[in-house]
Amino acid sequence: MGSPREPKAPAPSAGFLPLACKPGSTPLPPASTLLLMPGPQRSLLPLWLLGSIAFVGLILCQVAVGSTGVSGLGQVLGALASLMNLGEALPGAEQAIHELRLWRALCASLAGAALAISGVYLQGLFRNPLAAPGVLGVSAGATLGATLAILLVGGYGPELLLEGTRSWTPYALSFCSFLGAVVTVALVLGIAQGPGRSGAATLILVGVAVNATLGGIFVAIQALVLDDWQVAQAMLAWSFGTLRDREPYHVGMILAGLIPALLVIPRAAFALDLFAGGEVDARRLGVSTRAMRWLVVGVASGATACAVSAVGAIGFVGLVVPHIARKFVGAGHARLLPAAALIGALLLPTLDLLQLVIMGSAILPPGALTALLGGPFFLFILLTQTRDRSW
Amino acid sequence: MVEQRGVDYPLVRARDLNFAYERDTPVLSGVNLDLCSGEMLFVLGANGSGKTTLLNLLSGSLTPGGGSVELGGEATASLTPRELARHMAVVPQSIDGVNGVPVRRFVMGGRYAHVPVWGSPGAHDEELVLRSLEQADGAQFAGRMVGQLSSGQRQRVLLARALAQEAPALLLDEPTTALDPEHQVAVLDLIHLQAQAGTAVLVVTHDLNLTSQYASRVLLLAEGGVAAEGTPEEVLRPEVLTPVYGARLWFGAFPDSGRPIVLPRGQ
Repeated sequence: MGSPREPKAPAPSAGFLPLACKPGSTPLPPASTLLLMPGPQRSLLPLWLLGSIAFVGLILCQVAVGSTGVSGLGQVLGALASLMNLGEALPGAEQAIHELRLWRALCASLAGAALAISGVYLQGLFRNPLAAPGVLGVSAGATLGATLAILLVGGYGPELLLEGTRSWTPYALSFCSFLGAVVTVALVLGIAQGPGRSGAATLILVGVAVNATLGGIFVAIQALVLDDWQVAQAMLAWSFGTLRDREPYHVGMILAGLIPALLVIPRAAFALDLFAGGEVDARRLGVSTRAMRWLVVGVASGATACAVSAVGAIGFVGLVVPHIARKFVGAGHARLLPAAALIGALLLPTLDLLQLVIMGSAILPPGALTALLGGPFFLFILLTQTRDRSW
Repeated sequence: MVEQRGVDYPLVRARDLNFAYERDTPVLSGVNLDLCSGEMLFVLGANGSGKTTLLNLLSGSLTPGGGSVELGGEATASLTPRELARHMAVVPQSIDGVNGVPVRRFVMGGRYAHVPVWGSPGAHDEELVLRSLEQADGAQFAGRMVGQLSSGQRQRVLLARALAQEAPALLLDEPTTALDPEHQVAVLDLIHLQAQAGTAVLVVTHDLNLTSQYASRVLLLAEGGVAAEGTPEEVLRPEVLTPVYGARLWFGAFPDSGRPIVLPRGQ
């Protein structure tokens, strides 16, 4: 510690009489000081405006820039207009290329938002700064589901399946991944809620155990299919996320998980603030802790499962973005949840765009990007945060 | 909905309470307790006598192994946490994990049960938070983090949060242990004012002399049950206290009020 404390406030004068009995008591601090205090008074409107503009700008940039080259604003707007039935399609492959870039951009930003908001939900619920969507086994389960699907359609399943699957292969992949995520979460929750066991710590420990087991199975399968280069590559791609060849249904899938997570914010934010003092304390203040736990775990794992089944397992976003967001808006969940969603929506496309600009093509999978930047950045946060150990 | 009954009917009523953390070693057995509006009931007892356990049973944080707790005539077990919190505020000894929480947001926690489930705190709640902080003499650190406060200041912030809850029953677990003498008296004066305004107050404490001056009724716990119950004059006597606290006590009386003084006596 050893941090310099604030100077001691002047000694209290009149003591404890309630306001009514104390004529001429100290008036409330003027509005100007309230603005400087952390609290709901301070307006975040500029931050939101800036963020929204950045978001739209990023999406436009992503549509403009791709591994096949950079297009002008006119082309971008033309492609988007045609997509909304407002104009002629661009000639040749141009339209298709721009549309692909748009789905890629939307997938990246929406998945980033979903993972980030899930991270805030889980960190708040478990009072643990290291809680992340991965803790509940969502990512591992989704990855294993996708792996099994790749195995089935990729040549190791019955021939019967292989014949007729070409057209719905991507759907099968997403579906199996989603199924894997949901089954895993159900398993983790089921074990953690068993008789005589409850509480956040158990849940995290069960998650760690299940994660390790599934990870082992995943590596074992990979080792077995290493000979089949294509299948192995597909699996690897999934385990670090992929933004290639995304389609509208991928975007819809992520939205299906993200929208409930956003809608629940007004119900959960205040209650999550109270979880900071522990579940017993939250309950004494009126929070139905059990119901809240189910609600939060439900929307968080739903959002993650949908995101992971659309773009694969992208790590670190759910862990790092909540910490970044706290720097901007503080730890109050009413602001933290939407702020984290916005920052998550900006982070992934930015990384993707940077890689395109710097390297000329999107070689690295998004999960590798987030891990490469997220790991050191997380360390940076930890090392510079010695002054206020809020956790 | 919890109804307020007549003045004489206890707001909190516990009958035949039993509790054991481990099988075969009961902490409390057969405890009866009535807490009426407007009274200040002080619960005394040696370390490990089950004072905090009793408070946790009354507030619904622990489920009794047997017996019942009623709030305004309704079993607390049948109330939602929200209903319970509107009618009973608890001041625990301390809370972990809130160091990074700004004081005002912490105190705002007391308003949770009053804010609509899909809503957020409004101007009225903000006003109440500041007023509660002011009542508990904490307005000057409203802009700080809880982690930046001394333990005495924290205790006052905890009290402010309970006041913001505006509940007709107030349960406090050793609210004066971390306070300097001036603030001990100030906090109990404030609680006394709440009681005069009709709040039912229960205070768990070790401080026999504050009990003597502020309690309207005293409950002495020993060996898992109620060893004595009555006015301070009736309970704070050598023949009642010596079996519980041992013989090394000195008994006297305040010269003005005649109320008992009990001090630990060294060699």
